[in-house]
Amino acid sequence: MNHAAGPAAAPPPAEIFRPRPARRAPPSTLGVQGWIRQNMFSSVPNALVTVIGIWIVYAFFDALFGWAVGNAVWQAESRRECLDEVGRAGACWPGVIAWIPNLIYGLYPKDQVWRINLAGLVLLLWAAPLWLPRVQSKVQIGLSLVLLFPLFASYLFLGGEKGIVWSALIALGLAAFLWTLLTAVTETVFGLGIARFAVAALGFGGQSDEARRRLAIAVLLAIYVVAVIAVQALSLPFVPTRVWGGLFLTLVISGIGIAFSLPAGIVLALGRRSRMPLISLLSTTFIELFRSVPLITILFMFNTMLPLFLPVGVEVNQLLRAIVAVCLFSAAYMAEVVRGGLQAIPRGQYEAASAMGLGFWQATGLVIMPQALKIMIPTIVGNFIGLFKDTTLVSIVGLFDLLSMSRAVGEDTRWLGLFLEPFFFVTMIYFVVCFGMSQYSLNLEQRLSAGERR
Amino acid sequence: MSEAVAGAPPIELIGLNKWFGAFHVLKDIDLRVQEGERIVVCGPSGSGKSTMIRCINQLESHQEGTIRIHGRSYGRDPRENDAIRREIGMVFQSFNLFPHLTVLENCTFALTWVRHMPKQEAEDLAMSFLTRVRIPEQAAKYPLQLSGGQQQRVAIARALCVRPRIMLFDEPTSSLDPEMINEVLDTMVELAESGMTMVVVTHEMGFARKVADRVIFMDQGEIVEEAPPEAFFGAPRYDRTRLFLSQVL
Repeated sequence: MNHAAGPAAAPPPAEIFRPRPARRAPPSTLGVQGWIRQNMFSSVPNALVTVIGIWIVYAFFDALFGWAVGNAVWQAESRRECLDEVGRAGACWPGVIAWIPNLIYGLYPKDQVWRINLAGLVLLLWAAPLWLPRVQSKVQIGLSLVLLFPLFASYLFLGGEKGIVWSALIALGLAAFLWTLLTAVTETVFGLGIARFAVAALGFGGQSDEARRRLAIAVLLAIYVVAVIAVQALSLPFVPTRVWGGLFLTLVISGIGIAFSLPAGIVLALGRRSRMPLISLLSTTFIELFRSVPLITILFMFNTMLPLFLPVGVEVNQLLRAIVAVCLFSAAYMAEVVRGGLQAIPRGQYEAASAMGLGFWQATGLVIMPQALKIMIPTIVGNFIGLFKDTTLVSIVGLFDLLSMSRAVGEDTRWLGLFLEPFFFVTMIYFVVCFGMSQYSLNLEQRLSAGERR
Repeated sequence: MSEAVAGAPPIELIGLNKWFGAFHVLKDIDLRVQEGERIVVCGPSGSGKSTMIRCINQLESHQEGTIRIHGRSYGRDPRENDAIRREIGMVFQSFNLFPHLTVLENCTFALTWVRHMPKQEAEDLAMSFLTRVRIPEQAAKYPLQLSGGQQQRVAIARALCVRPRIMLFDEPTSSLDPEMINEVLDTMVELAESGMTMVVVTHEMGFARKVADRVIFMDQGEIVEEAPPEAFFGAPRYDRTRLFLSQVL
């Protein structure tokens, strides 16, 4: 800078930049009336649409309310009585009320229905710790729920003779349930799982690691022994699957379908992306085959053709056939959802994991899959909802799910022709379940992404 | 199982050739990096510089030639290859932090899952490296809540946590805002001063001048010129190098 000689060339001292303090955004001065005027009556066509829209909504709900509540009959002995009282202007609810037990439990023996309720209670208690903030063993609890609850529940539902192996498996389910309950309590109160809590409580703190591990295993074994004894004491009469029905059957089929389809879909999606040609070919074939065929066809195939391929004398239960068909069908769909999610994860994520020395399975399980599953939540839950509704198709292979049970009401001699009301009732059940799933997925999405937005 | 050979150079590339389909990306690359040496690789885009350093830790596989890391060469056994690449830390242009984990979890990730280090020990070690890159206060945040420069410093800390003996940088400042480039470069200068063996692909010629022991210029898949920075910037031999320098300086 020497060539620019002379004092006049020296730059003036720099002025100091002080950023202005940020101001609050001006409050909306619109108010309710202003908002309505601006958004609903801003022009003549807009006002017209608003008025007509409100009228349609009003007319619809007025008619619905009049039918379902206003003119409805709540007490009657038969459909004849209803018709005599209000004709077709009001709903005839007594028929639905009388059939509620059947709509929920199918033809399951009345004195055995407690077994279904008990299984439902066990399911709720088993899953509840997943929402408790202080519980750490959520992965183990979740896995045990998906893998072992079906073992325990299937005995509650089916009952009957149990051999040694079957008893051992049922006891394993029960033991896992007991372990979940105990661990949820001890982790919430003391921050330790049941086995380690028992070790500490018994005063083995000073012993060697080896001794403590042995004692912890002994505690787990003790839980299993208790479960075995309990299962031995439990003797339930056999209830064949052909009397299962209603909401119970719908939940069994869709529950198993949901629990199976996600893991199976993940495996298939990874298989399809595999570099090993045989695995990739098999996965792709399976996915494309099951996606290209309607569920009804698959159900028919499994129902009528499977027995032809099996050796004489081997009989596969009809419900089991339907469940397998639903599982395979939904797994194929889920595989494509998962594959889409996997493709959305940038290659760099895998490269970073790989550069750290993680192998394929670690990188996939710890880095790629958690991110992919998170972005897939809306689609996954969408598939679950679809699956739940698709179970209505099992009626064509002679299973009495919730929807077909609702049609049975109108075939009852007392309530002959009563189809609309049970249908309405069942619609509400489907809506509540599906809407609940959808809302939960929104909530889950928001919670999972809360920490990660900018 | 080939063991690390004492005194063998950290990186040796001998007659390396690579094709993407029919496209010949790397042509007869020979390069030998000594212990503690800092190499800066520059060149136009598509010259193969990124591909070359990605071959060093086998993010890309090569078709011909040999790569030796401390005397051990990559082979068919994936576990052996993973063991070799654990010697090497890598920092990417797009950071590639794991967005579903906090900054601290990103740093302890490899320690926990690859080295099986106890949680407390891993966290202490990770914090010491986060302190070294001067962002210990961000440990509990998620990567996307940080600025680009901070994210890249976390990425450097994450790579350092597993105590690699070689660090590779693939255009570490190319996706940063101009004002954040220096905070990352400063971190890299400090790392260089600590004696780490480094191979850096970058267009930051100031960094090359200041830190590099050797500058390598690549074009069309070949190493055109390699020289110490004074010679490289002062008197480049090839016209291609002169043209490139006239564009970037």
